[in-house]
Amino acid sequence: MGKQITFDKKEDLPLVTSSFESMAWNKTGDWRYLKPIFQDKTPPCNNSCPAGEDVQGYLYLAQKKKYKEAWNLIKEENPLPAVCGRACMHPCEDSCNRGEFDEPINISAIERFLADNAIKQGYILPPIKRKKKKEKIAIIGSGPAGLSCAYQLKRIGYQVTIFEALPALGGMLRIGIPDYRLPKDILEHEIDTILELGIQIQTKARIDKETIAKDMKDFHAIFIATGCHKSIRLGIAGGDSRSVISGLDFLKDIHFGKKVPLGKKVAVIGGGNTAIDTARLALRLGAKPFILYRRTPAEMPAIKSEVIQAENEGIEISYLTAPTRIISKGNRVTALECVKNRTGPPDSSGNKTLIEIKDSHFPIEVDNIISAIGEIPDISILPEEVDLENRLIVTDESLKTTMNGVFAGGDVKSPLRSIAHAIGSGKRAAIAIDRYLKAKTLEDVMDTIRIGDGPGLSMRSYLQRDDPSRRKTKQVVRYKDINIDYFEQKPRHAVKTLSIEERVSSKKEVHLGFPCETALQEAGRCFNCGVCNHCDNCYIFCSDLAVIKHKGKTRNTIDYDHCKGCGVCIEECPRDAMYMEREEK
Amino acid sequence: MIKVMIGNHAVSYGVMLSRVQVIPAYPITPQTSIVEELSEFCADGHLNARFIKVESEHSAMACCIGASAAGARTFTATSSQGLALMHEMLHWATGARLPIVMANVNRALGPPWNIWNDQTDSLSQRDTGWLQFYCESNQEVLDTVIQSFKISEEVLLPTMLVLDAFFLSHTAEAVDVPDAQDVDRYLPRYQARYRLDVDNPHSFGNLATPEYYQGFRNKIQDDMIRARTVAKKADEDFESIFHRSYGFTEAYQCEGADLILVTSGTVVSTSRIVIDELRKEGRKVGLLKIRMFRPFPFDDVIGALKDAKKVAVLDRAISFGHSGIFAQEIMSAMYNQPSKPLIYSYITGLGGLDVTPRIITDIINDACERDIPPQESIWIGGKS
Repeated sequence: MGKQITFDKKEDLPLVTSSFESMAWNKTGDWRYLKPIFQDKTPPCNNSCPAGEDVQGYLYLAQKKKYKEAWNLIKEENPLPAVCGRACMHPCEDSCNRGEFDEPINISAIERFLADNAIKQGYILPPIKRKKKKEKIAIIGSGPAGLSCAYQLKRIGYQVTIFEALPALGGMLRIGIPDYRLPKDILEHEIDTILELGIQIQTKARIDKETIAKDMKDFHAIFIATGCHKSIRLGIAGGDSRSVISGLDFLKDIHFGKKVPLGKKVAVIGGGNTAIDTARLALRLGAKPFILYRRTPAEMPAIKSEVIQAENEGIEISYLTAPTRIISKGNRVTALECVKNRTGPPDSSGNKTLIEIKDSHFPIEVDNIISAIGEIPDISILPEEVDLENRLIVTDESLKTTMNGVFAGGDVKSPLRSIAHAIGSGKRAAIAIDRYLKAKTLEDVMDTIRIGDGPGLSMRSYLQRDDPSRRKTKQVVRYKDINIDYFEQKPRHAVKTLSIEERVSSKKEVHLGFPCETALQEAGRCFNCGVCNHCDNCYIFCSDLAVIKHKGKTRNTIDYDHCKGCGVCIEECPRDAMYMEREEK
Repeated sequence: MIKVMIGNHAVSYGVMLSRVQVIPAYPITPQTSIVEELSEFCADGHLNARFIKVESEHSAMACCIGASAAGARTFTATSSQGLALMHEMLHWATGARLPIVMANVNRALGPPWNIWNDQTDSLSQRDTGWLQFYCESNQEVLDTVIQSFKISEEVLLPTMLVLDAFFLSHTAEAVDVPDAQDVDRYLPRYQARYRLDVDNPHSFGNLATPEYYQGFRNKIQDDMIRARTVAKKADEDFESIFHRSYGFTEAYQCEGADLILVTSGTVVSTSRIVIDELRKEGRKVGLLKIRMFRPFPFDDVIGALKDAKKVAVLDRAISFGHSGIFAQEIMSAMYNQPSKPLIYSYITGLGGLDVTPRIITDIINDACERDIPPQESIWIGGKS
């Protein structure tokens, strides 16, 4: 206890009571029965990213203008941010808590800015510090799954060779996404940064069961990521006709510079991204394409914003319209007979059933028909030991197939065909292969590396799993957990787009990137859900001075000798980066 | 420089000239234009002060306490319900010995809802340990702001200056705005004797045991009493520079008066006219204006009233279950005097009821006619 001062007379008294020595001897922490604890939680964007990006982490770095660090952070999880910043369907934005406040953060545009900025500034990845391992791994397919797996395995230290059937790497990113959405120089730049790590490549190397059995004996593990490159045939009269072009073949042929003769009236059948891209590419080649989709707009699997752009460009989409017959004159297609559908009650899978409207058949004059109703894997190349189900490879959680040492990921394994899922599965396979080669299981580390309760795994957590500091809990922060008193409504910054005239007369990229200033402002809208961003509200509000600040980036700590557990720090934390624990006494 | 301005802006100019450093404020009719004008002064650089928007009057006063404890010259303004909400903090400001100055625009309390003038709000805070001044004109308002800082910073007690809703707050008059240099000479920069200082940490307001607590309270009363001397000197110094002074009370035509009317605020101005008229008729009536209510100016009041036969106190407030509050104060001041007048308590002008020359004349006539004051206050005017 401090020294007590006594006064004899009124005249000796000061005007106000005051202390002249520290009161720290009074350990008021004894009074506490609830204990506040600093603990980062999982932001919803991170939780929903199939590629396992630390979205909040790089938005935070972007807020601090640390663009290089932000890019590095993405690259730890995903080698293709310039691709994802353009072509990912960004589930992160759908789950963004800001969406319930005003509008979600434009995460994809910020990701693209960071990646484009890295290209512009010529940033290179930090060198791999891990010891080179002797084991060799074969990656079959160089789409996002294959590239992601190769990249992460290389970072772990393995020797990696990619086998690609086509003359150039990229898989569906190269042939399936036209230049106006993903310029090829951007794709190539990102692929180069992966290859620069020292990855062997073999292009025009189509693999089949024999080569897998013979030529891959030297490899300690194989990752199959051959994707879905076979178009589903149109199952209608005349559908097998040579005059019906497959959407994917069309995109591929145009990419490799083949001439595809098109008339004016081009009917594109389907509602996925291939259908939309096919129609928009045909438009740029001078045709007047239109899209026929048998279901409703709500069920359309294509990225919504791309559908809107297609419509803006003047492409008409007829919904609940299904082709029934192709009418030809000689070798030439002249018309497409269609029927109108209506929706019925949902079936067992939850999709609305389609009911043909009687006598609603009608012909549409067409010059070409492009069928883009879906793609499936080419399973003829797979060894018999690899089990299939619904034409997809069967694996366990660790992406292990039924054949020893063979893993599979990406579209050839998963029905959830998206770039981010493919990148995520490549990473999952890389971790699983590392575990396999060490005779350990993926399951043992899942709790450490899984992001929240979502689909993504964190490579950073995997590589730094001995360091539990700043690891986030699985709890996903929701809008109700945010103290919105600390935020003001600010509209989302939209990216600018090329004028319609400029788009259709060129193959130029439709979406223009954010300028630096806009990216900074947009990143500044982030709530940083569940993650301490050193706002110091806890420090400011603590009436017991029990929140201790430290120099540098070290986060605040709590002086439990004096914290009374009043909880004001938790109440005033804008982003729920703390929690309260009951103390048993 | 003579400027035509409303009473609220007279407050704002007084605050600006006093070079106040922190203004935490929450709006309430009819006070709002005081702090609005101050926010303009802050925005356009006429006043180098921190203007803090707060979420309630309680917070406004809490903020004043913090700022004043840190050594800043601090001001806020409020009214009615807002002042009531500050109540707890008013006591704290006194106990912490902080020279905060606040303008209270007298407004009735609800319900019934009412935004007009009466004195219930400030008189309800009589015992919080704040000095209180009731102003009659816009000039007096401006001058009293400056004087208030002078007095408060000397005795380390807070001051509330009070002006009537609308009759002063929103009524324009010509006001002589003093030169800033003269005000600086009169009111130098505030140097706090006790100050929160992060480089020299002390905690203030710590617990005091019963044997000490009473001593601290006794010192507050000592300084309240001392405030009379300090306020007198402040008024004299003010006069020597600005050629205006106000005193604690003002006796008007009290010489040889048989009946003296006692009141405060803008009713004083109206009463002056009534007294002049009645004097012309040859009636021996006078008027006593009470400007300083806390500390109570016993000597001035006793001196002015002791020779009168009757005193009629016009109150714009009522202590329910007792009588007019000014009337009680006057009665208690006179009680121990060997020669004392009969004292009559009149209630009028509540909730903005216009106190006309007619009402004042009725009060004087009523007091003249009654031989003995009734036990209960007499209500005049309105629906009473």
